[in-house]
This record gives sequence, C-alpha cells and structure tokens, in this order.
Amino acid sequence: MRRTQPARLAPQPHSPTRLASRKRVNACFLLNLKWLHELLLPCASARKHMSDTRAIKIGVLYSETGVTSAVETTQQRATLLAIEAVNAAGGVMGRELVPVCLDPACDPSRYALLTEQLIVDHGARLIMGCYMSSTRKAVIPVVERHNALLFYATPYEGFEYSRNVFYAGAAPNQNILPLASFMLSRFGTRVAMVGSDYVCPYESNRVMSDLIHERRGEKVCEIYLPLDAPQASFLEVASQIKAKRPDFIFSTVVGDGIAKLHRALAASDIDPHLTPVASHMSSETEVAAMGADLAEGLITCSSYFQSVNTPENRRSVQAYRARYGADLVTNMCWEAAYFQLHLLAEAMRQCGTDDPTLVARALRGLEFEAPQGRVRVDEHNNHTHLHPRIGRCNRYGQFDIIASAPGRVPPDPFVVSHQAPAWALGLGDTSAAELLVEGR
Amino acid sequence: MKRVDATHNVLKDLRGLQVVVLHPRDQDGDELGAQLQRIGCQFETYWPDLDVLPVGTDLVLMAVRPETLSQRYPWMGRLTSPPVIPVVAFENPITIAAVLQLDAYATIASPVRSAGLMTAIAVTLHQSKARRHRERHIERLEQKAAHQRVIQQATQIVMAKRGVPEADAYQLLRSQAMTQRESIESLASGIVKAQATLNL
Repeated sequence: MRRTQPARLAPQPHSPTRLASRKRVNACFLLNLKWLHELLLPCASARKHMSDTRAIKIGVLYSETGVTSAVETTQQRATLLAIEAVNAAGGVMGRELVPVCLDPACDPSRYALLTEQLIVDHGARLIMGCYMSSTRKAVIPVVERHNALLFYATPYEGFEYSRNVFYAGAAPNQNILPLASFMLSRFGTRVAMVGSDYVCPYESNRVMSDLIHERRGEKVCEIYLPLDAPQASFLEVASQIKAKRPDFIFSTVVGDGIAKLHRALAASDIDPHLTPVASHMSSETEVAAMGADLAEGLITCSSYFQSVNTPENRRSVQAYRARYGADLVTNMCWEAAYFQLHLLAEAMRQCGTDDPTLVARALRGLEFEAPQGRVRVDEHNNHTHLHPRIGRCNRYGQFDIIASAPGRVPPDPFVVSHQAPAWALGLGDTSAAELLVEGR
Repeated sequence: MKRVDATHNVLKDLRGLQVVVLHPRDQDGDELGAQLQRIGCQFETYWPDLDVLPVGTDLVLMAVRPETLSQRYPWMGRLTSPPVIPVVAFENPITIAAVLQLDAYATIASPVRSAGLMTAIAVTLHQSKARRHRERHIERLEQKAAHQRVIQQATQIVMAKRGVPEADAYQLLRSQAMTQRESIESLASGIVKAQATLNL
C-alpha cells in the first residue's frame, strides 16, 4: 500500500497509462506476495527445524541436603530416570531433554532464588521440584512472574490453584480422607495426633478432627514438633501418648522426624499392632531409612506403593534399580515425579513446542499410563486424578495393599467438609478386614 | 496464633452457597467463575442489568467499573440484601467512593487471581452475619430503652395520683400487670395514654 500511494499523489500527465500500470503493479505485488509466501514457508519450517535440534532444558529443584532430602533425592532420580527414558526414545520432537539440577537445601528462600536462576540464567522454564509447602509457596510468585511452569510431585494440603503449577501428588480427598475414614472405622475414635510444625500437618489434622468430631470421638492430644526436633522430644511425646492409650496415632511428622517418632514409640513399648501409626506422609523411603522392624504395622494411604502390581510399575522399578542401585525402594513422590515428567514430554509432543503457555494447555485433560495406573490431569484445577490405596507396612518394609478405591478419584483441592468414601470404610470389602485382623 | 478446634461454620457451608456474579464475561469474569467452581459454590452470572435478585442469593460478586457507576440495583441497600464483594479494576477515587457505598468487608482486585477469593468470601459472610446480629441487638436495646421511658412516665403518674414513693408506685404497676396477665410495658403505656386523654 505504501509503495503505491506516492504514485497516486504524483502529477498525472498520462492518466490512462498510470491506471493500467497501477493495476499491473498491484497484480505484480500480489504475485510477489504469493511467491514470497512460498519462498518463506520452507524457509520458516527450515528455521523451525533448525531450532528443533536445540535441547529443552528442564529445571530440577529437589533438595540433596537437609531434613527432607531423603525423599527429595528419590524425586530427583525419578525425574532424571524419566528424562533418560524420553531421550532414549528419541527425545521430544527430536529434541533432547537436558536436566539442570540445583540444590535448594530445604530452604524456601533458596527455592525462590534458584527458580529465578533456572529461568533467567539457564533458560529453563519447565521446572520439576519442591516438597514442603513452604518451598512451593516461595516458588509460585517466581514462576507466575516469568510464566514458567512448576511441576509439583508431592501430596499436599490443598486449597491452592495456580495456572503455572501442576500438582501430581494427592489432594486431601485422595489420601487423608480415605486414611482417616479407614482408621476411625477400623480402630476407633480416640486419636493421638503428632506432627511437624508447618502448614500441611495443621490442615491434615483439621480434616481428621472434623471426622473424629462427627463420630463423637476424642482427640487425646495434638502435638507439633519443630522440623529438627531432637530424639528426646519424640520420647517425651511417646510417653505422653502411652499414658493416654489412644486407639491409634495419626502422624503428620515429615522427614528425619519419622524415624525418630517410630524409634521413640518402640522405646516406649507401644505395640504397633494394637496402637498403629497412621500417616499419609510416610512411604517406603522413610521406612527403609528407619528399618522395616520399626515401621511394621504402619498404615498409610497413597496412590502408589512399590508393591502395586502393574506392568508399568514393574518396568519402571526395574529401570530405577538398574540405574541407581539394586537395593533401592521407590515411593509415592518418586512415582509422581516420574509420571509427571512423562506427562510433560507427552504434552510437548502434542503441542509441538516447549512454550509454557501451550504446554499448560496441552496438559489439561492429558492422560498417562503411570506405574499406579492410568492418571489424568484435571482440566479445571491442574491437580491429578489418582488411584488411592490403603497400605500396611510388612516386615520387609513394603506395603500390603489392604483396600483400594474402586476407580480413579478426581482431585477436589478446595473441599472443606469431607464425606467418607465407602471403599475406605471397608463396606463389602471383607478380604481387607481379614487381612488387617490377621496382621493384628 | 491460636488454632481453632473445629472447622468454622462459614467454611463448612461454602458448598451450599448461592452466589450471583455481576460481572462481564471477560478474563476476570472467567477467573472468578473458575475459582467459584473449584471452591464448589453455586453461581449465576449477569451483566450489566439485574433488576430482581434470584431467591436465596447469599452473596454478590460485583464488578465496580467507571461505565456502570450510575447503574442502580433496586435490591441493594436493604436490611435483607446479601453482602457484596466488589471487584475493583480502577483504583481511583471515583471507583473507591463507589466501593465504599457498597458497605463491603472485603474486595477483590483486578486482575483476578484464584488466591484470595475464598478468604474474601469467608470474611464477608462472617462479618455480615455479625453485623445482622449486632443490628438485631441494637434494635432490641432501643425497644427496651423506649419501654423504660414509658414505665418511668407511668410510675410518675401513679406517684402523683396516689401520693406514694417511686418504689411503691413501681410495685403497684408490677402487681397490676401480673393480675391482668399483661406486660408491665403495655400497662404503663395504657396509663400514659389515659393520662394524656384525661388532660385534654
């Protein structure tokens, strides 16, 4: 347009000729456009093809040191294992995934700092990481500001949604609710509560308290200990619990404290068969750290146990052991980290890019055959549809699955008042009840 | 901070809440709707007109915008009107003045984020319940004060007519009320009215 304009404004001695030539110019211009378009198309795709060979950087933000490093290390390894599997299969659209691992050492402010570093210095806008809620809360404003995505592979207390976060761990309706329902209906309603002093235990105990209250039960104590509480504090708690003779102990202790708690309970002669510990925050990894003899009888609810019998699980556990060590155990956070990386890879394949906005769009509603069974990313809340199970720790440090949800359970992170699910109450599930009695 | 033992009723009732969203269907409107859905509230969206509020509305989320500052909603400002949470895009004096007129307890800032809505709803419901409670209390106190005035006047009349001290006059009123199975207030107001008539 701009090029033809001066011609129109110029003096016009030969008007008809000018008109004709203008038509010709326009036609030429159109032809040129078409030609240019054809010329540009292969050019653009060639450029795209060239950029396709560039590696896709994946930020990996799990603590290798600090109070929860044992489980976070398994999440880091699961992520790396999945990245290697994706790369071995040709990467994503021919592009290699390259992990950038940084160690935030369980410190929330370091999580925020390193997230910024991953995005700004390393160009990694797809980040797998965080364990404790305090660390996730610290990372969220950073990923939102830079439009990066955080993949969070840990069960947490719910009541959160960010369009920049995908949650692969259980929401309370997928772990605390079935566990509380199971324990209150099987063992009784006099409950001792002990937890680590941070947000997740508080919210978990609120859910448990409401369910106890509904059944006219009794909370015999509710104790919170600092994350780095010494063994002596746990011994004090154990003797207090022994004196009160609860039906079971609901533990929301995390990290190294889990072993300390079980050691203290054993030292106080609290029989795990008569007064079991129920904890949705304990897994095979913590059991391995403390020794199976201390953990036997521990009851938990999780969407994944190493003992889950699916071909995907057998395959991935085998690959994990081949890569990192034959005696290693897996856990729910390991599995969530593992399938979340695969979900991310699949989302990138579907949208053909690693652009966070498009990847996020592709992730919503996406399904994947995970070790626990087929999982699905919820379209509305970014949490994941999972397969909750109740497991009881055996003498080998593995969990016998004593009850399972009949199907995939949708995540409901904002539910305040919970309704106990029938499957966890064991209605019509006599085999589970028998197993439990046998265990006692 | 002291931890509350049982979950607050306002939070327990969130899923039964009927919410009206007075907001255009733009990005903020979508975000509000999506978060209400996650929280689990029932809601309906209107914009810009809403002459009649749906029956049973517990709460209104309302965009306060320059172009609708002159909009009047007939259902607003009544004793029984549900509380309003303004959604504020332009933080200027005109808009803030409009927000103040809504007697809100909490506001939502635009661009709307998912975080903050649940707290705003809880604070608003809790405070509006407390306000209704206070208003009823004040009403009762005002009534009581009015009754006291009438009883006082009646006591004065009895004192003058019978030439008895105040304590006896009051006792007389009380026993009369009891034998006539009437409240002392209505007996007193009868005496005050009769006196006024006789004095004509």
